[in-house]
Amino acid sequence: MNNERPSYLREIFETKEIELNMGPQHPATHGVYRAILTLDGERIVGLNSVIGYLHRGIEKWAEYRTYKQATPIFDRLDYLSAVINCHGYVGAVEKLLGVEIPKKAEYIRVICDELQRLASHLIWLGTHALDIGAMSVLFYAIREREAVVDLLEAQLGQRLLNNAYPIGGVRFDFPKGWVEVCRKFLKVFKGKIDDYEELLTGNRIWRQRTIGVGYISREDAIAWGLSGPTLRASNVFFDVRKSIPYSAYPDFDFEIPLGQNGDVYDRYLCRIKEMRQSVRIIEQALDGMPEGELKAKVSPIIRPPVGEAYFTVEGSKGQLGFYIISDGKEKPYRVHIKSPSFINLQGLDVMSRHQLIADMVALIGSIDIVLGEVDR
Amino acid sequence: MADEQNAKKGWEATGEPIITDAVQKAIEKFGSKVIPYPNPAKEATIKVEKEDLYEVLNFLKKETGFDYLSDIASAHFPQNEKHLSLAYHLFSIEKKDSLRVKVEFNEEDLIPTVSSIWPAANWMEREAYDLMGVKFENHPNLKRILLPDDWEGHPLRKEYPLGGPQEEEIRSNRYGVPSLLPDDLESAKKIIEEGKNE
Repeated sequence: MNNERPSYLREIFETKEIELNMGPQHPATHGVYRAILTLDGERIVGLNSVIGYLHRGIEKWAEYRTYKQATPIFDRLDYLSAVINCHGYVGAVEKLLGVEIPKKAEYIRVICDELQRLASHLIWLGTHALDIGAMSVLFYAIREREAVVDLLEAQLGQRLLNNAYPIGGVRFDFPKGWVEVCRKFLKVFKGKIDDYEELLTGNRIWRQRTIGVGYISREDAIAWGLSGPTLRASNVFFDVRKSIPYSAYPDFDFEIPLGQNGDVYDRYLCRIKEMRQSVRIIEQALDGMPEGELKAKVSPIIRPPVGEAYFTVEGSKGQLGFYIISDGKEKPYRVHIKSPSFINLQGLDVMSRHQLIADMVALIGSIDIVLGEVDR
Repeated sequence: MADEQNAKKGWEATGEPIITDAVQKAIEKFGSKVIPYPNPAKEATIKVEKEDLYEVLNFLKKETGFDYLSDIASAHFPQNEKHLSLAYHLFSIEKKDSLRVKVEFNEEDLIPTVSSIWPAANWMEREAYDLMGVKFENHPNLKRILLPDDWEGHPLRKEYPLGGPQEEEIRSNRYGVPSLLPDDLESAKKIIEEGKNE
């Protein structure tokens, strides 16, 4: 059977690929990200990412400051999880110095990190659901995030960009009554996660929009260097907290949720389960809080030994790494940032192949990018 | 005299080289082409020449299980004999093992791309090209990524000023002296005097 159209029809109904611009001022790209999509009908056949609108030259800037002065700029990378960014940089300097951090400081860091992870995941949950069309989740997620941010403000002094840790430990012990409030919050919050799941996990519209969308295989996910929940949804066990243990994480009993199918729905489930694990970690850390010093002894002017160090933490988006070269002087010779959002965004090309244009928004939401971190 | 020599030579990393199983395997295979490199933070590091880079990385991926490319970081050392360096941070998801591979070279040298070994290297190499001016061979799409296409220079080079090429101009404007002075000396002096009086 000949399926070809007659020549006179072919001339009229000739199909060709078209280019469609999305962003940089698109509400669903979560920042100034521009995607140039090549479309064949409704299917995406090519994706050209244009980034760099938010490039501030953080790596260059850090070379002109002393180790201590450079700390606050790294909060501006992923501005939704500033505490974890700070942990990454400070940890890299400590690794280079060879300082041992007091146990109590490590526990406080773990608690603040995990609270920040909750806050970041809640923002993701709200905006991701909003992109797909479930508006009410945003209000609930923002409500709980507000409580987390208040807790962080009480402990660290700032709500969002809180310059959380000095090199060598933490600044403050918990204020009076903080631990009780935190416990109370965690108790309530567990119920709230159930609420989100009730709204979304079994929701027919949600499942139809997300299951089977944006599939990436296990092999591809590793080869494209994805990390964080985006990688773990493809059934790869790689979480820096377990794989390259740092801080006090080996002390706690928690699981790394893995997905099976590597689609948008599994990435959603992974993050939801991760929130439950974060609650578990915080509860254990509050229970087992050791006594002791808050800060190791570090000289006022930091001059690490000549050499290099690469320290990674599990950020809310994935493996966040800091590569610092020291020339033995008081300023870092070179700071390189491995940003998880940047690498995950690269994998979007694979995930979006032959997907429907209407699913693009769900896809961008599912890899959870923050453009401040992509562009640095 | 010794100080002068040191200043010329630059500085060298402190610490001891760490020999892991993977480093041992690489040394067995490549012999003296693979040199263990000292590191103060106790991270396994090896150094290779740029001619052997692709072969060594391919071996490490296929034979020692470094299936995950964590990062490619570039650095500029104008005081050294070889001006640029790259550090490949490899990780093995099965064995939970890390390794850094370092390579040093000069500005005009072509570095083989590893995006055929790990596709993830594509954007990492574009970033190194964009900000540091490292040129890669056979890269599928070697274009600027974070900066606009018509940008001049590579900002992370040490000779590049923090405020960009226009830094001097901005500074002079801030202090009230016009940056573009007329060619003849007399009118230029006049403009500067007027600026001071204001």
